Amino acid sequence: MKELIKKLVEISSPSGREDAIREVITQEIKDHVDEIKVDPLGSLIALKKGKSGKKLLFDAHMDEIGVVVTHVDDKGFLRIDMIGGVSPYRLLGARIIFETGAHGVVGVEGETMKQAGEIMKSLDFDHIYVDVGATSREEAEKLSPVGTFGTYDAGFIDLGSRLVSKAMDDRIACAILVQTIKELETPKDDVYFVFAVQEEVGLVGASVAAFDIMPDMAIAVDVTAGPDTPKSFKRMGFKLGGGPTIKIKDQASVSSSKVVSRLKEVADSRSIPTQYEVLIFGGTDARGYQTTGRGIPVGTVSVPTRYVHSPNEMVDYKDVLDSVRLLKALAEEGI
Amino acid sequence: MKLERLSRLCELPGISGFEEKVASFIESQIEGKVDKSWKDSVGNLIALKKGNGKSQKRLMLLAHTDEVGLMTKKVNEDGTLSFTNIGGVDPRVLMGKKVLVGDDLIPGVIGFEAIHTQERATLLTTPKMDKLRIYLGYSKREEAQNNHRLGDPVFFSTKYEEVGDFAIAKAFDDRTGCEVLLRVLDDLQSFSLDYDVYFAWVVQEEVGLRGSGIAATQIKPDAALVFENTTAGDNPELPEYRWATSLGKGPVLTFAHNGLVLDKKIFETIVDTARTNSIEFQYKSRIAGGTDAARLARTMSGIPAGVISTPSRYIHSPVSIINTNDFLGVAKLASLLVKEGKVLSR
Repeated sequence: MKELIKKLVEISSPSGREDAIREVITQEIKDHVDEIKVDPLGSLIALKKGKSGKKLLFDAHMDEIGVVVTHVDDKGFLRIDMIGGVSPYRLLGARIIFETGAHGVVGVEGETMKQAGEIMKSLDFDHIYVDVGATSREEAEKLSPVGTFGTYDAGFIDLGSRLVSKAMDDRIACAILVQTIKELETPKDDVYFVFAVQEEVGLVGASVAAFDIMPDMAIAVDVTAGPDTPKSFKRMGFKLGGGPTIKIKDQASVSSSKVVSRLKEVADSRSIPTQYEVLIFGGTDARGYQTTGRGIPVGTVSVPTRYVHSPNEMVDYKDVLDSVRLLKALAEEGI
Repeated sequence: MKLERLSRLCELPGISGFEEKVASFIESQIEGKVDKSWKDSVGNLIALKKGNGKSQKRLMLLAHTDEVGLMTKKVNEDGTLSFTNIGGVDPRVLMGKKVLVGDDLIPGVIGFEAIHTQERATLLTTPKMDKLRIYLGYSKREEAQNNHRLGDPVFFSTKYEEVGDFAIAKAFDDRTGCEVLLRVLDDLQSFSLDYDVYFAWVVQEEVGLRGSGIAATQIKPDAALVFENTTAGDNPELPEYRWATSLGKGPVLTFAHNGLVLDKKIFETIVDTARTNSIEFQYKSRIAGGTDAARLARTMSGIPAGVISTPSRYIHSPVSIINTNDFLGVAKLASLLVKEGKVLSR
């Protein structure tokens, strides 16, 4: 499955610019599903039919955080703004790849040592710039005009049991859904697989993707923090390698207790390791489904991930494989 | 005056939730020009201009009728009124301004401490909204209570003026959008459209994009165009790369804003249409701020939209300034987009 993960994480497709990743996922799954369509906002929705008459929905968001060019100056330097939760600190030292194919590196303003120190203390997008190697405004505007989207340029590394890349959030879940689609032969319920757009800017795709489906249960698959590093958040207890987490709550949703217990039941029956997760920040697409139409019971299955929203997000490969097992188990056993 | 109807729209009082006068005026302007119109349960005004039936698709044009302002929250012992803001209002733009209070539009002023009596340490510091009061000429609570109650709307009272290519008024946000829709409707009177176009003047954008989703649910459009008024940042004290938009550089096109990246195809259609027709345009270069497009994307099965704005300096203040050519550019681009119908071809 590592090949599939590498393929998906290395596509550059920030929120609102999901054409590239949608095309790759479509090619991966189209021969393994009964129906496939693209909704009005661009989310990819596939169906594997079951026999129970009930409907289960799995969601992974296709987009990743990124940046957009907002200004080009006379010397060819770019100003950027964020698409989703990008920390300017994370951008320092990172490389950016733009949708035009141009590459850029990030610099910081500072005319005196004192000012440079102050800017670094509370860094914001007004004090950083991107250098695409242009020597004039004209050249920069050819490479990456205002309105050009970009992402981190940081590829996949296989560290053995741990995997590192940009965009593990949430391509690792896209890979989990794709793998589940390929392995799942006899789903009990109708299983819808949603590859949603624009999660990172505010759960956009997931707020509407299920409007015409109205499933009996919706599960968002996403990354969560990996708070098992030195002096990390001590109020959270899950870890990399401990299995996929079953979310109890985060800032955007409280999982339906029925969904939580069903996930746990199915996991235990097949001896799939899981951890419970209470996240003290963040949110997932589950929120979008929960408030769709007359309401959908939701839960989230997460892959513990270190350094989320950095160019180097790290997951545990066994957690990924166990996530596929968990999704497959629920699809086979039914909701 | 070049923009007579816009001047009337801007002078109408209509803070969020108190927009009936704006909707009624617009209703009077569309009479006889549309196939159907109705006001819905929250106060949105919706009108349909039917196409010739060649296409079953529907386009929604949207502008919000509300403006930012204030609301009384307490009648004080001394007959003054305390207030809170409705929508985003900077307390610094309120001191020393004339306002109109309540449905009867009773004039008052927002008072402040004279410069002579201010402490040196706090001289010219930003007042808290809580410390500001509206003075209406009453000397005690009982007098004020005869004419006012808690929850009375408070409106800015600026009269519309034109100076050369510039216009000054309150409420350009979003009466420019309201007027764009009216102009498009006028333009369509002698034009055969292939598809149905719905005009929606929606309520309560400034307090959380509340009217637009409700309007869209009644229309079920395939796509929408949102006509807004947006922040200019071309103040001399800011470096150019921090200007969100500039006056005089034409309609503002948005690729992304709070909570949404705008539909790529519609965005590109707008850019191409402006280029093809030699309409000078600019991009909004800051992501901050949102529009009803963010709500439409989250309505029903998701409605893709484009956003086109007139830039306004000192937006959300009683003295906003636009360049009338920017506004005319937006209106021209709007008509072209509706007539060509390309935003619906997906």
